[in-house]
Amino acid sequence: MTKYKELSSLKRKEAVFGWKLVSPAVILIGVFILYPVLYNIYLSFFEVSLTPGQSNKFVGLENYRRLLTDPTFWNSFGITLLFVAITVAGSILVGLGVALLMNKEFPGRGIVRALILFPYVAPVISTVFAWQYVLMPLNGPLTILLSNFGIMDITQDVVNNPNNAFLVVSFYSIWKNFPFIYLMILSRLQSISQDYYEAADIDGANGWQKFRHITLPELYYVLGSLVLLRGIWNFYKFEEVYLLSKEARTLPIYLYQTAFTGIPDLGVAAAIATVLFIVMMALITVYVKKVLKW
Amino acid sequence: MVVRKRSFIKTFFFWFFIALVIIFVAYPFAYMVSVSFRYDSDAFDSSLIPKNPTLSQYAQLLGFQESIRQEMSQEEQQLIKLLESLPEEQREQVMQNIQSQRRRESFPFLRWFGNSLLLAGLSALTSLIIGIFGAYSFSRVWYPGRNMVQRSVLLVYLVGGVILSVPLYDMFVRIGLTNTAGTSMFSLYIIYVIQTLPVSMYMLGNYFRTIPESIEEAALIDGSTRFGTIMRIIIPLSMPAIITVFIYAFMIGWNEYLFASIFIRPFPGSYTLPVGLREIFFSAHAVWAKMMAASVLTAVPVIAMFMAVEKYLTAGLTAGGVKE
Repeated sequence: MTKYKELSSLKRKEAVFGWKLVSPAVILIGVFILYPVLYNIYLSFFEVSLTPGQSNKFVGLENYRRLLTDPTFWNSFGITLLFVAITVAGSILVGLGVALLMNKEFPGRGIVRALILFPYVAPVISTVFAWQYVLMPLNGPLTILLSNFGIMDITQDVVNNPNNAFLVVSFYSIWKNFPFIYLMILSRLQSISQDYYEAADIDGANGWQKFRHITLPELYYVLGSLVLLRGIWNFYKFEEVYLLSKEARTLPIYLYQTAFTGIPDLGVAAAIATVLFIVMMALITVYVKKVLKW
Repeated sequence: MVVRKRSFIKTFFFWFFIALVIIFVAYPFAYMVSVSFRYDSDAFDSSLIPKNPTLSQYAQLLGFQESIRQEMSQEEQQLIKLLESLPEEQREQVMQNIQSQRRRESFPFLRWFGNSLLLAGLSALTSLIIGIFGAYSFSRVWYPGRNMVQRSVLLVYLVGGVILSVPLYDMFVRIGLTNTAGTSMFSLYIIYVIQTLPVSMYMLGNYFRTIPESIEEAALIDGSTRFGTIMRIIIPLSMPAIITVFIYAFMIGWNEYLFASIFIRPFPGSYTLPVGLREIFFSAHAVWAKMMAASVLTAVPVIAMFMAVEKYLTAGLTAGGVKE
């Protein structure tokens, strides 16, 4: 790499200009993102006290020992993995299906396209209330509909039942996030050259063969990126889960409850955040190596 | 004939699936809108079309009409008149009870709306301005360490709020920024700026790279300064991306619940919409019609903004990827 000293004066001026422009962003990110990430790891070795004048007590790996021997933690960890797996697979499948459907010309496509974005752009808090309404026991229209088909019990509060709350939350998350996947896939679909399909038609390929041998390979890269991005984002998803149902105890909810409700235990919460961070960094490393190919 | 029959079946299935997608997407919204136009007594009616449509929920939320809760406070006022005969201490006691009851029952929607608008708007604007210069720097200017800056931004873009919640809370408590409503709002403002900054920079940087450098070079030859070209050429040419990024950043602030609930819980006057609505939802008894009206009003600004720029949206999103 070229060193600053070796640059000509014009280039130096340019370099100084560049650094000046980016410095506010770099300082903010450094102070409020990079430093907190490291500070969080530091905190995870302490019994944290927020009372003024009382200092943190170093406890070594005690927080981690308590965390890793807590069955609630492992339960949360398992639920989180399931939640990520279901939502990633579900939103990709729905997104892909809708993108293939919307890739065709039909009257009214513009309106349908705009409508499909609604779940993604509407605020979490609004859509959460709407789902809670349609799924409430006894009176919820979706509850009534599903119980007519014998799929669920009309008296059951599915949203707040600890046994299946994470399934409801997963369904909600698929509904909320598939439009993002759909948009990404659709824009890739529209850049696939029609020549391939014409050539396949001449060879007498059927619809499935065209999908399997032309469309899917062309989408490979974008699908790979989406799986990882959604995986990373859903791994620490908070709002969508917590606001719909507190009973869906994924790791971020567990962290929030440990840190900010009842008797706050910031040290253990920091340990949970560190675990989340490590898993996330692993996912990001895969993302960077396999998808971005740095 | 065979071919035509097959294409009929195909067409049928095509429209069937389109209908399915529309129902899947619109189902909760349909009920949200429908229930918002009902009286509380009809809120559980299962038909989608309201039987006695009313605008009263909206009128009450927006302050055009006194709600039943407020009207009941006249009864309380009569009570207060009766109280005047009581001894001083007892009177204060009862008054406090009434006031705390009133506070619990009031639904200051407009105030929360204003708080959310202020926080989300200011933080999105700040992050946009800082982001434009930062993104220009790493997409157009060459300097040692540029690639490192660019890659760090991409990595930071993937770090979530949950991981930062504990250390940021600890930091802000220690520097004393959580003691009053004002400083707590300021803490939130800073947090929303940093949460949206990486995505702003990433999306803007990707867009700036699509602007031909020759346009800028021409301006430089004509004697424009580097800073001048940003203001006069890059910003006007990037308007679609700038608007998309602003709306995205705005939406992140508008949706944010985690930090808001941690920082402003003790200050009801400073609640943002997500915190306030959730608080109401869990304290009051079955106010579905009003909750739905509030949900519609919370969703309308964001949806309207998105629809206004829908044509830029696909380009903006797919060029930059997007963070939530």
